[in-house]
Amino acid sequence: MPLESVFETDVLIIGGGMAGCFAAIKAKEQGQEVILVDKGYVSKSGETPYAGDTMVFNPGWGHNLDEWLTQVSTIGEYVNNRHWNEIVFKDSYARYLDLESWGVQFLKENEVPRRLSHPLKNLGLPDRDKFPPLVSEVVHWLPGFPEIIRKQMVKSGVRIMDRFMVTSLIQQDGRVVGAIGMTIEDTEVNILKAKATVISAGGGGFRPLGYPTHQLTADGHVMAYCAGAVITGKEFVSPQSINPEHPGWPPMYLMFSSGHSAALPGGWSNRKLVNAEGNEVPVRGMAWHGWIDAEYEAHVGRAPLFTEDSQGNRHVVGGPGAHGSMLGHATDGICPVNDSCATNIHGLFAAGDSLGTSFVGASYSGFGFATMHAAVTGARAGLGAAEYASQAAKLEVDGELLTRLKKRLLAPLERRGGFSPRWVTQILQNTLLPYFVLYIKKEDRMKTALSTVEFLRDHIVPKMYARDDHELRLAHETNNMVINAEMKLRASLFRTESRGNHYREDYPRRDDTSWLAWVILKEENGEMRAFKEVIPEEWRPDMSRTYEERYPMRFPEE
Amino acid sequence: MAIDTIDDVLCNGCGICVRNCPMDVIRMDKKNGKAYIKYPEDCMICGVCLECPQKAIHLLPGYKLPTLLGWG
Repeated sequence: MPLESVFETDVLIIGGGMAGCFAAIKAKEQGQEVILVDKGYVSKSGETPYAGDTMVFNPGWGHNLDEWLTQVSTIGEYVNNRHWNEIVFKDSYARYLDLESWGVQFLKENEVPRRLSHPLKNLGLPDRDKFPPLVSEVVHWLPGFPEIIRKQMVKSGVRIMDRFMVTSLIQQDGRVVGAIGMTIEDTEVNILKAKATVISAGGGGFRPLGYPTHQLTADGHVMAYCAGAVITGKEFVSPQSINPEHPGWPPMYLMFSSGHSAALPGGWSNRKLVNAEGNEVPVRGMAWHGWIDAEYEAHVGRAPLFTEDSQGNRHVVGGPGAHGSMLGHATDGICPVNDSCATNIHGLFAAGDSLGTSFVGASYSGFGFATMHAAVTGARAGLGAAEYASQAAKLEVDGELLTRLKKRLLAPLERRGGFSPRWVTQILQNTLLPYFVLYIKKEDRMKTALSTVEFLRDHIVPKMYARDDHELRLAHETNNMVINAEMKLRASLFRTESRGNHYREDYPRRDDTSWLAWVILKEENGEMRAFKEVIPEEWRPDMSRTYEERYPMRFPEE
Repeated sequence: MAIDTIDDVLCNGCGICVRNCPMDVIRMDKKNGKAYIKYPEDCMICGVCLECPQKAIHLLPGYKLPTLLGWG
């Protein structure tokens, strides 16, 4: 019989990446007791080990807020949240100074941080001159920064529980009062009672196998959704991929090695993209848009693709890619209801990729945006949660509720037979990962995938069984991935237009009349429902400009 | 480049790889105090285990992924 322990704290943080670490340290500084749990080992878990740089906005370095906002709005195609853009930009320098005071080392020249301009700034892309200047800049930290932040947490007195998976939030009388979960290795069930809870457990995408963070299981999004939280941005994707079997390969990709910076392949600016027939592929648009062109070449049967340098040498560098990663980095997630990253659920806050600020909107426009978005929202969520906890009364948690949550946690382990979570995940990934489902989208294909996902949700997931502690974790992750798949498909079906990295073959143009809006998902009467929330009037593009001026990027077949 | 073997002779049982593996692929053999690969099929090819101070962990050469997913 598994052991059971109960912990009590003021603030509980779920997930220990950039956002969670900031939340924990800031909450602790307010005098609150803080427990931070992470499925892995904090500093090696999630996406943190692969982050190489962070955006810093600082007027003292000559940065201009309006120019930065224009960059995000044009590439994010106007569904970026300019309020959150301003918050993150304006807070960013203070968070940079925090990192530095904790001992994170930045690349410097003559004592001054070395700022790097947007890596696409000087590339000879055909549509380059149609876009506003790329003004955002990043600073690079030296390897080892996650370990330094971990040390700072320990120094602050944050209690870290590594290799611990949360399976449900504990919700009582309409308020989140902690979470229940288990240790990874021996399934010790732990009840974590907290006055305030922060979810900073990363995003939820379907990334191709072979990408070092492909296993994004959307735990945070799903446990919040199940508690009644509102989710946004699920239709947007962020193309990052690595897979040598795919016929096409993207014009840009990130090369990773453990513990080191993400870096763009050198010399891309001198290369062109060539299809299997030897013809140049026009890479339209900016930043991540170009992936759609590459993917479309594969879609119409002209892959494999190569890069060709000025001497005519062809290159396939590193692990060439599949389709886009199905995640909106720094855009999708749990909707905030105020500037402290509170959610619509009492006692629940969110930060980082778990928080759906729509920071980048329909397409990722900068470098280092996600790390700084995580730092800023993490700090704000930590302070917000600390304030909430300092005023909140302690709640006695109902024993029957805990018994029910514990039963749910252990259910797959207690079934004698059923479906292996590994097999279910394989079916799910085979349904979702093909480029023609969530990257080049069309109603009939998405409906087909959704019907498979619904079948998995209703018939297979409740019958998953786990043969040991490891498979119990997998079973809960698979459950979350299935719900996340449903979110991505429903949001993508609902948005009947193309925008940014949401490309629909059946609606290949933006529809500014209907879709200067966000897609919101929430549960109603036990069903996932999609709603539209229109963006504020003052954020709409200047409609006196032509469509081509508002949207310099052309979609295939548009 | 998925995890392939852990060299029994080189492994000193420090447990860093067990702790660091985000996918819980590696566990400690309580009998001999050495790390071993318990769930190889869940390796996501991140390479975090290569921080082994004993250089006891070896990866498979090349990328080996299921073709169906590979054509994603």
